[in-house]
Amino acid sequence: MVFNSLDFVVFIIPVFLLYWLVFSKSNIYQNLFLLAVSIFFYAWADWRFLILLLGSTLINYYLGLKIYRTPEDRKKSIFLYIGLVFNVGLLLYFKYFNFFYEGFYEILNVFGSTSTYNSLVILLPLGISFFTFQTLGYLIDVYNEEIEPSENLLDFSVFVTFFPKILSGPIERASSLLPQIKEKRVISYEVSVDGLRQILWGLFAKIVVAENCALIANPIFNNYENESGSTLLLGTFFYAIQLYADFSGYSNMAIGVSKLFGIQLMRNFSTPFFSTNISDFWRKWHMSLTTWMMDYVFTPLSFTLRRHQKKGLIISIITTFVLVGFWHGANWTFVVYGLLHGIYFIPLVFSGKMNTSEIVAKGKLLPSLKEVFKMILLFVLIMLTDVFFRVESVSVGFEYLKRIFSLSIIDLPSVLFSSTTLITSALIGFFILVEWVNREKKHDFEIGNYNIYLRWISYIFIFVLILIFGKSAETFIYFQF
Amino acid sequence: MEVDVIKSKISDALVSILEHDNFEMHDELTAKDVDGWDSLSHMMIITKIEEEFSIRFKLRDLNKLKNMGSLVSVIQTKI
Repeated sequence: MVFNSLDFVVFIIPVFLLYWLVFSKSNIYQNLFLLAVSIFFYAWADWRFLILLLGSTLINYYLGLKIYRTPEDRKKSIFLYIGLVFNVGLLLYFKYFNFFYEGFYEILNVFGSTSTYNSLVILLPLGISFFTFQTLGYLIDVYNEEIEPSENLLDFSVFVTFFPKILSGPIERASSLLPQIKEKRVISYEVSVDGLRQILWGLFAKIVVAENCALIANPIFNNYENESGSTLLLGTFFYAIQLYADFSGYSNMAIGVSKLFGIQLMRNFSTPFFSTNISDFWRKWHMSLTTWMMDYVFTPLSFTLRRHQKKGLIISIITTFVLVGFWHGANWTFVVYGLLHGIYFIPLVFSGKMNTSEIVAKGKLLPSLKEVFKMILLFVLIMLTDVFFRVESVSVGFEYLKRIFSLSIIDLPSVLFSSTTLITSALIGFFILVEWVNREKKHDFEIGNYNIYLRWISYIFIFVLILIFGKSAETFIYFQF
Repeated sequence: MEVDVIKSKISDALVSILEHDNFEMHDELTAKDVDGWDSLSHMMIITKIEEEFSIRFKLRDLNKLKNMGSLVSVIQTKI
Protein backbone atom coordinates (compact mmCIF):
# COMPACT_ATOMS: atom_id res chain seq x y z
CA MET A 1 0.00 0.00 0.00
CA VAL A 2 1.36 3.41 -0.91
CA PHE A 3 1.74 6.11 1.76
CA ASN A 4 -0.81 8.32 0.00
CA SER A 5 -3.64 5.76 0.12
CA LEU A 6 -6.59 5.37 2.42
CA ASP A 7 -5.40 1.80 3.06
CA PHE A 8 -2.24 3.21 4.57
CA VAL A 9 -4.09 5.60 6.87
CA VAL A 10 -6.26 2.73 8.11
CA PHE A 11 -3.09 0.69 8.62
CA ILE A 12 -0.83 3.26 10.26
CA ILE A 13 -3.13 4.67 12.96
CA PRO A 14 -3.71 1.41 14.88
CA VAL A 15 -0.07 0.40 14.28
CA PHE A 16 1.12 3.71 15.77
CA LEU A 17 -1.18 3.37 18.80
CA LEU A 18 -0.32 -0.28 19.46
CA TYR A 19 3.41 0.45 19.12
CA TRP A 20 3.43 3.18 21.75
CA LEU A 21 0.63 1.96 24.05
CA VAL A 22 0.97 -1.83 24.06
CA PHE A 23 4.42 -2.76 22.77
CA SER A 24 6.52 -0.01 24.32
CA LYS A 25 7.68 -1.91 27.41
CA SER A 26 11.06 -2.87 26.01
CA ASN A 27 12.91 -2.72 22.73
CA ILE A 28 12.33 -6.46 22.26
CA TYR A 29 8.57 -5.91 22.23
CA GLN A 30 9.00 -2.88 19.98
CA ASN A 31 11.16 -4.83 17.53
CA LEU A 32 8.95 -7.92 17.52
CA PHE A 33 6.01 -5.69 16.72
CA LEU A 34 7.90 -3.74 14.03
CA LEU A 35 9.02 -6.99 12.39
CA ALA A 36 5.47 -8.38 12.35
CA VAL A 37 4.13 -5.11 10.93
CA SER A 38 6.90 -4.92 8.34
CA ILE A 39 6.26 -8.48 7.19
CA PHE A 40 2.57 -7.70 6.90
CA PHE A 41 3.34 -4.50 4.97
CA TYR A 42 5.64 -6.27 2.52
CA ALA A 43 3.26 -9.22 2.10
CA TRP A 44 0.43 -6.80 1.37
CA ALA A 45 2.48 -5.28 -1.45
CA ASP A 46 3.82 -8.58 -2.80
CA TRP A 47 3.54 -11.74 -0.70
CA ARG A 48 5.27 -13.91 -3.32
CA PHE A 49 8.71 -12.59 -2.49
CA LEU A 50 8.39 -12.59 1.27
CA ILE A 51 10.43 -15.79 1.45
CA LEU A 52 13.15 -14.12 -0.63
CA LEU A 53 13.27 -11.09 1.67
CA LEU A 54 13.38 -13.20 4.82
CA GLY A 55 15.85 -15.69 3.30
CA SER A 56 18.15 -12.87 2.28
CA THR A 57 17.89 -11.43 5.81
CA LEU A 58 18.89 -14.78 7.37
CA ILE A 59 21.80 -15.37 5.02
CA ASN A 60 23.20 -11.86 5.45
CA TYR A 61 22.83 -12.12 9.23
CA TYR A 62 24.79 -15.35 9.22
CA LEU A 63 27.48 -14.03 6.83
CA GLY A 64 27.94 -10.86 8.91
CA LEU A 65 28.70 -12.96 12.00
CA LYS A 66 30.94 -15.31 10.01
CA ILE A 67 33.02 -12.46 8.60
CA TYR A 68 33.41 -10.95 12.05
CA ARG A 69 34.24 -14.15 13.91
CA THR A 70 36.71 -15.63 11.43
CA PRO A 71 40.18 -14.73 12.67
CA GLU A 72 42.12 -15.30 9.44
CA ASP A 73 42.06 -12.49 6.90
CA ARG A 74 41.92 -14.78 3.91
CA LYS A 75 38.96 -16.74 5.23
CA LYS A 76 37.24 -13.51 6.23
CA SER A 77 37.39 -12.35 2.65
CA ILE A 78 35.98 -15.67 1.41
CA PHE A 79 32.83 -15.04 3.45
CA LEU A 80 32.70 -11.48 2.15
CA TYR A 81 32.92 -12.76 -1.44
CA ILE A 82 30.13 -15.26 -0.77
CA GLY A 83 28.05 -12.32 0.44
CA LEU A 84 28.90 -10.19 -2.59
CA VAL A 85 28.10 -13.03 -4.99
CA PHE A 86 24.86 -13.80 -3.18
CA ASN A 87 23.54 -10.22 -3.05
CA VAL A 88 24.77 -9.07 -6.44
CA GLY A 89 23.62 -12.42 -7.83
CA LEU A 90 20.08 -11.86 -6.56
CA LEU A 91 20.03 -8.47 -8.19
CA LEU A 92 21.53 -9.72 -11.45
CA TYR A 93 19.10 -12.59 -11.69
CA PHE A 94 15.88 -10.76 -10.86
CA LYS A 95 16.69 -7.44 -12.46
CA TYR A 96 19.24 -7.91 -15.21
CA PHE A 97 18.92 -11.49 -16.43
CA ASN A 98 16.99 -10.69 -19.62
CA PHE A 99 19.22 -7.70 -20.36
CA PHE A 100 22.36 -9.84 -20.45
CA TYR A 101 20.54 -12.78 -22.03
CA GLU A 102 19.39 -10.63 -24.95
CA GLY A 103 22.83 -9.04 -25.20
CA PHE A 104 24.40 -12.48 -25.42
CA TYR A 105 22.14 -13.48 -28.32
CA GLU A 106 22.77 -10.21 -30.10
CA ILE A 107 26.51 -10.87 -29.94
CA LEU A 108 25.92 -14.38 -31.33
CA ASN A 109 23.90 -12.84 -34.15
CA VAL A 110 26.81 -10.57 -35.02
CA PHE A 111 28.82 -13.72 -35.62
CA GLY A 112 26.19 -15.08 -37.99
CA SER A 113 24.10 -17.11 -35.61
CA THR A 114 20.41 -17.07 -36.44
CA SER A 115 19.15 -18.33 -33.12
CA THR A 116 16.50 -16.21 -31.47
CA TYR A 117 15.91 -15.59 -27.82
CA ASN A 118 12.79 -15.75 -25.79
CA SER A 119 12.93 -13.45 -22.81
CA LEU A 120 12.19 -15.22 -19.56
CA VAL A 121 9.34 -13.92 -17.49
CA ILE A 122 11.07 -12.84 -14.27
CA LEU A 123 9.07 -10.78 -11.84
CA LEU A 124 10.97 -8.07 -10.03
CA PRO A 125 10.71 -8.42 -6.25
CA LEU A 126 9.64 -5.08 -4.78
CA GLY A 127 12.40 -3.12 -3.12
CA ILE A 128 15.13 -5.57 -4.14
CA SER A 129 17.50 -2.84 -5.38
CA PHE A 130 17.14 -1.07 -2.07
CA PHE A 131 17.43 -3.91 0.41
CA THR A 132 20.25 -5.75 -1.37
CA PHE A 133 22.31 -2.53 -1.37
CA GLN A 134 21.64 -2.10 2.31
CA THR A 135 22.78 -5.64 3.17
CA LEU A 136 25.78 -5.36 0.82
CA GLY A 137 26.88 -2.21 2.61
CA TYR A 138 26.41 -3.98 5.94
CA LEU A 139 28.69 -6.89 5.00
CA ILE A 140 31.41 -4.61 3.59
CA ASP A 141 31.30 -2.46 6.74
CA VAL A 142 31.66 -5.54 8.94
CA TYR A 143 34.58 -6.76 6.82
CA ASN A 144 36.29 -3.36 7.01
CA GLU A 145 35.78 -3.36 10.77
CA GLU A 146 33.76 -0.17 10.53
CA ILE A 147 30.91 -1.73 12.51
CA GLU A 148 30.32 -4.80 14.61
CA PRO A 149 27.73 -7.19 13.20
CA SER A 150 24.36 -7.55 14.81
CA GLU A 151 24.40 -10.54 17.17
CA ASN A 152 20.66 -10.35 17.49
CA LEU A 153 18.61 -11.81 14.62
CA LEU A 154 15.52 -9.83 15.62
CA ASP A 155 17.40 -6.50 15.49
CA PHE A 156 18.95 -7.42 12.16
CA SER A 157 15.59 -8.45 10.67
CA VAL A 158 14.08 -5.10 11.61
CA PHE A 159 17.13 -3.39 10.12
CA VAL A 160 16.48 -5.07 6.75
CA THR A 161 12.68 -5.13 6.65
CA PHE A 162 11.67 -1.91 8.47
CA PHE A 163 8.50 -1.05 6.56
CA PRO A 164 8.81 2.72 5.93
CA LYS A 165 11.91 2.19 3.80
CA ILE A 166 11.54 -1.37 2.44
CA LEU A 167 9.91 -0.52 -0.90
CA SER A 168 11.98 2.44 -2.06
CA GLY A 169 14.58 3.44 0.49
CA PRO A 170 16.32 5.53 1.72
CA ILE A 171 19.10 2.94 1.47
CA GLU A 172 20.12 2.93 5.11
CA ARG A 173 23.55 2.37 6.66
CA ALA A 174 24.01 -0.09 9.48
CA SER A 175 26.11 2.42 11.42
CA SER A 176 23.16 4.79 11.67
CA LEU A 177 20.12 2.48 11.74
CA LEU A 178 21.25 -0.54 13.80
CA PRO A 179 22.12 1.42 16.97
CA GLN A 180 18.64 2.98 16.88
CA ILE A 181 17.02 -0.45 16.63
CA LYS A 182 19.11 -1.79 19.52
CA GLU A 183 17.85 0.93 21.87
CA LYS A 184 14.36 1.23 23.25
CA ARG A 185 12.54 4.08 21.50
CA VAL A 186 10.83 6.73 23.61
CA ILE A 187 7.99 8.75 22.14
CA SER A 188 8.71 12.43 21.57
CA TYR A 189 5.96 14.88 20.77
CA GLU A 190 8.32 17.14 18.79
CA VAL A 191 9.73 14.32 16.66
CA SER A 192 6.28 12.90 15.92
CA VAL A 193 4.88 16.27 14.91
CA ASP A 194 7.95 16.93 12.77
CA GLY A 195 7.32 13.55 11.12
CA LEU A 196 3.73 14.56 10.37
CA ARG A 197 4.96 17.81 8.82
CA GLN A 198 7.33 15.91 6.60
CA ILE A 199 4.53 13.52 5.59
CA LEU A 200 2.26 16.47 4.72
CA TRP A 201 4.96 18.06 2.58
CA GLY A 202 5.79 14.74 0.89
CA LEU A 203 2.11 14.18 0.18
CA PHE A 204 1.85 17.63 -1.41
CA ALA A 205 4.97 17.02 -3.53
CA LYS A 206 3.67 13.65 -4.69
CA ILE A 207 -0.04 13.98 -5.32
CA VAL A 208 -0.17 17.67 -6.17
CA VAL A 209 3.11 18.58 -7.86
CA ALA A 210 4.29 15.27 -9.33
CA GLU A 211 0.88 14.06 -10.46
CA ASN A 212 -0.09 17.35 -12.10
CA CYS A 213 3.28 17.50 -13.87
CA ALA A 214 2.66 13.95 -15.09
CA LEU A 215 -0.66 15.07 -16.61
CA ILE A 216 1.31 17.46 -18.84
CA ALA A 217 4.49 15.44 -19.43
CA ASN A 218 2.89 12.06 -20.21
CA PRO A 219 0.93 13.05 -23.34
CA ILE A 220 3.96 14.95 -24.67
CA PHE A 221 6.32 12.00 -24.21
CA ASN A 222 3.76 9.51 -25.52
CA ASN A 223 3.14 11.55 -28.63
CA TYR A 224 6.54 13.17 -29.14
CA GLU A 225 6.60 12.55 -32.92
CA ASN A 226 3.78 15.02 -33.45
CA GLU A 227 4.83 17.80 -31.09
CA SER A 228 6.84 20.93 -31.79
CA GLY A 229 10.35 21.44 -30.41
CA SER A 230 9.10 24.00 -27.93
CA THR A 231 6.38 21.65 -26.63
CA LEU A 232 8.95 18.86 -26.24
CA LEU A 233 11.18 21.23 -24.31
CA LEU A 234 8.28 22.08 -22.03
CA GLY A 235 7.65 18.35 -21.63
CA THR A 236 11.19 17.82 -20.34
CA PHE A 237 10.70 20.66 -17.84
CA PHE A 238 7.56 19.13 -16.37
CA TYR A 239 9.07 15.67 -16.35
CA ALA A 240 12.19 16.85 -14.46
CA ILE A 241 9.99 18.45 -11.80
CA GLN A 242 7.75 15.38 -11.73
CA LEU A 243 10.69 13.04 -11.17
CA TYR A 244 12.02 15.16 -8.33
CA ALA A 245 8.65 15.77 -6.66
CA ASP A 246 7.75 12.09 -6.99
CA PHE A 247 10.84 10.66 -5.36
CA SER A 248 11.56 13.44 -2.88
CA GLY A 249 7.88 13.31 -1.93
CA TYR A 250 8.09 9.58 -1.39
CA SER A 251 11.31 10.01 0.63
CA ASN A 252 9.85 12.71 2.84
CA MET A 253 6.84 10.51 3.55
CA ALA A 254 9.05 7.49 4.32
CA ILE A 255 11.27 9.51 6.67
CA GLY A 256 8.23 11.14 8.27
CA VAL A 257 6.47 7.80 8.87
CA SER A 258 9.67 6.42 10.37
CA LYS A 259 9.88 9.37 12.77
CA LEU A 260 6.46 8.38 14.12
CA PHE A 261 8.16 5.20 15.36
CA GLY A 262 11.09 7.07 16.87
CA ILE A 263 13.56 6.09 14.14
CA GLN A 264 15.49 8.67 12.12
CA LEU A 265 16.23 7.61 8.54
CA MET A 266 18.83 9.40 6.45
CA ARG A 267 18.04 12.43 4.34
CA ASN A 268 17.55 11.55 0.69
CA PHE A 269 17.18 14.94 -1.03
CA SER A 270 18.53 18.29 0.05
CA THR A 271 16.95 20.79 -2.38
CA PRO A 272 19.10 19.52 -5.30
CA PHE A 273 17.96 22.07 -7.85
CA PHE A 274 19.56 24.83 -5.81
CA SER A 275 22.99 23.73 -6.98
CA THR A 276 25.57 25.58 -8.99
CA ASN A 277 27.50 22.63 -10.40
CA ILE A 278 26.94 18.94 -11.14
CA SER A 279 28.97 17.67 -8.21
CA ASP A 280 26.95 19.85 -5.87
CA PHE A 281 23.76 18.48 -7.44
CA TRP A 282 24.73 14.85 -6.83
CA ARG A 283 25.54 15.60 -3.21
CA LYS A 284 21.91 16.59 -2.81
CA TRP A 285 20.09 14.16 -5.14
CA HIS A 286 19.11 10.66 -3.98
CA MET A 287 21.79 11.01 -1.33
CA SER A 288 21.38 7.52 0.14
CA LEU A 289 22.29 6.02 -3.24
CA THR A 290 25.06 8.44 -4.18
CA THR A 291 26.81 8.23 -0.80
CA TRP A 292 26.54 4.44 -1.07
CA MET A 293 28.13 4.51 -4.51
CA MET A 294 30.78 6.94 -3.26
CA ASP A 295 31.77 4.70 -0.37
CA TYR A 296 31.58 1.27 -1.98
CA VAL A 297 32.39 1.95 -5.65
CA PHE A 298 34.05 5.32 -6.18
CA THR A 299 36.40 5.27 -3.17
CA PRO A 300 37.87 1.78 -3.75
CA LEU A 301 38.12 2.46 -7.49
CA SER A 302 39.74 5.87 -7.24
CA PHE A 303 42.04 4.48 -4.54
CA THR A 304 43.20 1.76 -6.90
CA LEU A 305 43.67 4.27 -9.72
CA ARG A 306 45.14 7.06 -7.56
CA ARG A 307 48.55 6.98 -9.27
CA HIS A 308 46.88 7.96 -12.54
CA GLN A 309 45.94 11.36 -11.13
CA LYS A 310 43.15 13.06 -13.04
CA LYS A 311 42.78 10.26 -15.57
CA GLY A 312 42.19 7.81 -12.73
CA LEU A 313 39.69 10.18 -11.17
CA ILE A 314 37.74 10.56 -14.42
CA ILE A 315 37.62 6.80 -15.03
CA SER A 316 36.40 6.30 -11.47
CA ILE A 317 33.72 8.97 -11.75
CA ILE A 318 32.39 7.73 -15.08
CA THR A 319 32.31 4.10 -13.93
CA THR A 320 30.52 5.13 -10.74
CA PHE A 321 27.89 7.11 -12.60
CA VAL A 322 27.28 4.44 -15.22
CA LEU A 323 26.57 2.11 -12.30
CA VAL A 324 24.35 4.73 -10.66
CA GLY A 325 22.38 4.84 -13.91
CA PHE A 326 22.32 1.09 -14.42
CA TRP A 327 21.13 0.55 -10.84
CA HIS A 328 17.80 2.05 -11.92
CA GLY A 329 17.02 -0.68 -14.38
CA ALA A 330 18.09 -3.07 -17.09
CA ASN A 331 17.90 -0.65 -19.95
CA TRP A 332 20.56 1.12 -22.00
CA THR A 333 18.69 4.37 -21.39
CA PHE A 334 19.86 4.32 -17.76
CA VAL A 335 23.42 3.57 -18.86
CA VAL A 336 23.34 6.63 -21.15
CA TYR A 337 21.82 8.70 -18.33
CA GLY A 338 24.65 7.72 -15.97
CA LEU A 339 27.35 8.09 -18.62
CA LEU A 340 26.23 11.62 -19.47
CA HIS A 341 26.25 12.64 -15.83
CA GLY A 342 29.73 11.17 -15.45
CA ILE A 343 30.92 13.16 -18.46
CA TYR A 344 29.51 16.39 -16.98
CA PHE A 345 32.04 16.01 -14.17
CA ILE A 346 35.06 16.20 -16.48
CA PRO A 347 35.27 20.03 -16.62
CA LEU A 348 35.12 20.10 -12.82
CA VAL A 349 38.01 17.66 -12.54
CA PHE A 350 40.16 19.92 -14.71
CA SER A 351 39.11 23.18 -13.10
CA GLY A 352 39.58 21.74 -9.61
CA LYS A 353 36.12 22.92 -8.62
CA MET A 354 34.85 19.48 -7.72
CA ASN A 355 34.67 20.16 -4.04
CA THR A 356 32.63 23.31 -3.96
CA SER A 357 29.41 22.33 -2.29
CA GLU A 358 27.61 25.03 -0.45
CA ILE A 359 24.12 26.13 0.34
CA VAL A 360 23.38 28.71 -2.34
CA ALA A 361 23.10 32.26 -0.94
CA LYS A 362 23.58 31.02 2.61
CA GLY A 363 22.00 33.32 5.17
CA LYS A 364 20.65 35.58 2.43
CA LEU A 365 17.16 36.06 1.09
CA LEU A 366 17.98 35.91 -2.61
CA PRO A 367 20.75 34.41 -4.74
CA SER A 368 23.06 36.61 -6.80
CA LEU A 369 22.49 36.96 -10.53
CA LYS A 370 25.50 34.75 -11.22
CA GLU A 371 24.12 32.03 -8.94
CA VAL A 372 20.71 32.21 -10.62
CA PHE A 373 22.38 31.87 -14.01
CA LYS A 374 24.42 28.85 -12.89
CA MET A 375 21.41 27.14 -11.27
CA ILE A 376 19.27 27.60 -14.38
CA LEU A 377 22.04 26.37 -16.68
CA LEU A 378 22.55 23.28 -14.53
CA PHE A 379 18.81 22.65 -14.31
CA VAL A 380 18.44 22.79 -18.10
CA LEU A 381 21.29 20.31 -18.51
CA ILE A 382 19.74 17.93 -15.98
CA MET A 383 16.28 18.31 -17.43
CA LEU A 384 17.49 17.44 -20.95
CA THR A 385 19.40 14.43 -19.59
CA ASP A 386 16.28 13.26 -17.74
CA VAL A 387 14.79 12.48 -21.17
CA PHE A 388 16.81 9.24 -21.05
CA PHE A 389 15.30 8.47 -17.69
CA ARG A 390 11.82 8.69 -19.14
CA VAL A 391 11.93 7.13 -22.60
CA GLU A 392 11.89 3.41 -23.36
CA SER A 393 14.92 3.27 -25.65
CA VAL A 394 18.11 5.20 -26.35
CA SER A 395 17.12 5.88 -29.95
CA VAL A 396 13.83 7.44 -28.84
CA GLY A 397 15.79 9.57 -26.39
CA PHE A 398 18.09 10.94 -29.07
CA GLU A 399 15.18 11.41 -31.45
CA TYR A 400 13.30 13.34 -28.78
CA LEU A 401 16.31 15.61 -28.17
CA LYS A 402 16.87 16.06 -31.90
CA ARG A 403 13.28 17.21 -32.31
CA ILE A 404 13.65 19.75 -29.50
CA PHE A 405 16.51 21.41 -31.35
CA SER A 406 14.65 21.77 -34.61
CA LEU A 407 13.17 24.93 -36.12
CA SER A 408 9.88 24.29 -34.35
CA ILE A 409 11.56 25.29 -31.09
CA ILE A 410 10.44 28.83 -31.85
CA ASP A 411 6.76 27.80 -32.21
CA LEU A 412 4.41 28.52 -29.37
CA PRO A 413 4.12 25.30 -27.30
CA SER A 414 0.75 23.68 -27.85
CA VAL A 415 0.03 23.20 -24.16
CA LEU A 416 1.28 26.57 -22.94
CA PHE A 417 -2.02 28.25 -22.21
CA SER A 418 -4.05 25.27 -21.07
CA SER A 419 -5.45 25.65 -17.56
CA THR A 420 -3.57 22.55 -16.39
CA THR A 421 -0.26 24.07 -17.45
CA LEU A 422 -0.96 27.40 -15.80
CA ILE A 423 -2.21 25.90 -12.53
CA THR A 424 0.63 23.39 -12.41
CA SER A 425 3.17 26.14 -13.03
CA ALA A 426 1.74 28.13 -10.12
CA LEU A 427 1.88 25.03 -7.89
CA ILE A 428 5.50 24.43 -8.94
CA GLY A 429 6.26 28.06 -8.11
CA PHE A 430 4.88 27.58 -4.61
CA PHE A 431 6.73 24.26 -4.23
CA ILE A 432 10.05 25.83 -5.22
CA LEU A 433 9.46 28.89 -3.04
CA VAL A 434 8.92 26.77 0.09
CA GLU A 435 11.98 24.65 -0.71
CA TRP A 436 14.05 27.81 -1.23
CA VAL A 437 12.99 29.27 2.10
CA ASN A 438 13.83 26.01 3.89
CA ARG A 439 17.01 25.16 2.00
CA GLU A 440 19.21 25.48 5.09
CA LYS A 441 16.91 23.35 7.26
CA LYS A 442 17.08 19.65 8.08
CA HIS A 443 14.19 18.91 5.74
CA ASP A 444 12.08 20.79 3.20
CA PHE A 445 9.26 21.61 5.57
CA GLU A 446 10.92 21.98 8.94
CA ILE A 447 8.86 24.88 10.23
CA GLY A 448 8.75 24.02 13.92
CA ASN A 449 10.39 27.36 14.74
CA TYR A 450 7.58 29.40 13.13
CA ASN A 451 4.99 30.89 15.44
CA ILE A 452 1.83 28.89 16.00
CA TYR A 453 -0.39 30.99 13.70
CA LEU A 454 1.98 30.84 10.79
CA ARG A 455 2.43 27.08 11.30
CA TRP A 456 -1.28 26.38 11.26
CA ILE A 457 -1.93 28.69 8.34
CA SER A 458 0.76 26.75 6.44
CA TYR A 459 -0.71 23.35 7.34
CA ILE A 460 -4.23 24.40 6.40
CA PHE A 461 -3.11 26.07 3.19
CA ILE A 462 -1.20 22.98 2.03
CA PHE A 463 -4.04 20.74 3.12
CA VAL A 464 -6.50 22.77 1.06
CA LEU A 465 -4.15 22.65 -1.96
CA ILE A 466 -4.03 18.88 -1.58
CA LEU A 467 -7.83 18.66 -1.40
CA ILE A 468 -8.33 20.84 -4.46
CA PHE A 469 -5.45 19.84 -6.72
CA GLY A 470 -4.41 16.42 -5.38
CA LYS A 471 -4.67 13.50 -7.75
CA SER A 472 -4.97 9.89 -6.75
CA ALA A 473 -1.77 8.02 -7.42
CA GLU A 474 -1.32 4.28 -7.26
CA THR A 475 2.41 4.09 -7.58
CA PHE A 476 5.72 5.91 -7.49
CA ILE A 477 8.32 6.13 -10.24
CA TYR A 478 10.94 4.53 -8.01
CA PHE A 479 8.83 1.45 -7.15
CA GLN A 480 9.85 -0.06 -10.47
CA PHE A 481 13.50 0.03 -9.47
CA MET B 1 59.84 10.29 12.98
CA GLU B 2 58.56 12.82 15.52
CA VAL B 3 54.80 13.29 15.64
CA ASP B 4 55.28 17.02 15.07
CA VAL B 5 57.32 16.42 11.94
CA ILE B 6 54.66 14.02 10.63
CA LYS B 7 51.95 16.55 11.32
CA SER B 8 53.75 19.36 9.59
CA LYS B 9 54.31 17.19 6.53
CA ILE B 10 50.60 16.27 6.48
CA SER B 11 49.75 19.93 6.81
CA ASP B 12 51.95 20.74 3.79
CA ALA B 13 50.19 18.03 1.78
CA LEU B 14 46.78 19.44 2.70
CA VAL B 15 47.75 22.98 1.76
CA SER B 16 49.13 21.90 -1.60
CA ILE B 17 45.94 20.02 -2.56
CA LEU B 18 43.28 22.23 -0.99
CA GLU B 19 45.06 25.50 -1.70
CA HIS B 20 44.25 27.05 1.66
CA ASP B 21 45.41 26.73 5.26
CA ASN B 22 42.19 27.49 7.12
CA PHE B 23 42.56 24.59 9.51
CA GLU B 24 44.34 23.87 12.76
CA MET B 25 46.21 20.63 13.16
CA HIS B 26 45.03 18.65 16.18
CA ASP B 27 44.25 14.98 16.80
CA GLU B 28 40.47 15.40 16.64
CA LEU B 29 40.52 17.25 13.31
CA THR B 30 38.34 15.45 10.77
CA ALA B 31 37.87 15.90 7.03
CA LYS B 32 34.46 17.44 7.72
CA ASP B 33 36.11 20.33 9.58
CA VAL B 34 38.25 21.30 6.62
CA ASP B 35 36.80 23.15 3.64
CA GLY B 36 37.02 21.18 0.43
CA TRP B 37 38.23 17.95 2.02
CA ASP B 38 35.68 15.50 0.71
CA SER B 39 35.64 12.08 -0.90
CA LEU B 40 36.98 13.48 -4.15
CA SER B 41 39.93 15.51 -2.87
CA HIS B 42 40.59 12.78 -0.31
CA MET B 43 42.35 10.53 -2.85
CA MET B 44 44.58 13.36 -4.00
CA ILE B 45 45.53 14.11 -0.39
CA ILE B 46 46.20 10.42 0.28
CA THR B 47 48.42 10.16 -2.81
CA LYS B 48 50.29 13.30 -1.78
CA ILE B 49 50.88 11.92 1.72
CA GLU B 50 52.11 8.63 0.25
CA GLU B 51 54.63 10.56 -1.85
CA GLU B 52 55.77 12.74 1.06
CA PHE B 53 56.46 9.78 3.34
CA SER B 54 57.31 7.22 0.61
CA ILE B 55 54.72 4.81 1.96
CA ARG B 56 51.76 2.87 0.55
CA PHE B 57 48.34 2.70 2.12
CA LYS B 58 45.92 -0.18 1.80
CA LEU B 59 42.21 0.37 1.21
CA ARG B 60 41.57 -0.97 4.70
CA ASP B 61 43.92 1.62 6.22
CA LEU B 62 41.79 4.24 4.55
CA ASN B 63 38.68 3.00 6.30
CA LYS B 64 40.43 3.30 9.65
CA LEU B 65 41.13 6.99 9.20
CA LYS B 66 38.68 8.73 11.50
CA ASN B 67 40.61 11.87 12.36
CA MET B 68 44.07 13.43 12.26
CA GLY B 69 45.23 11.36 15.25
CA SER B 70 44.42 8.09 13.48
CA LEU B 71 46.08 9.32 10.28
CA VAL B 72 49.27 10.05 12.19
CA SER B 73 49.25 6.63 13.87
CA VAL B 74 48.60 4.80 10.59
CA ILE B 75 51.54 6.67 9.04
CA GLN B 76 53.71 5.77 12.03
CA THR B 77 53.08 2.06 11.46
CA LYS B 78 54.21 2.42 7.84
CA ILE B 79 57.50 4.34 8.15
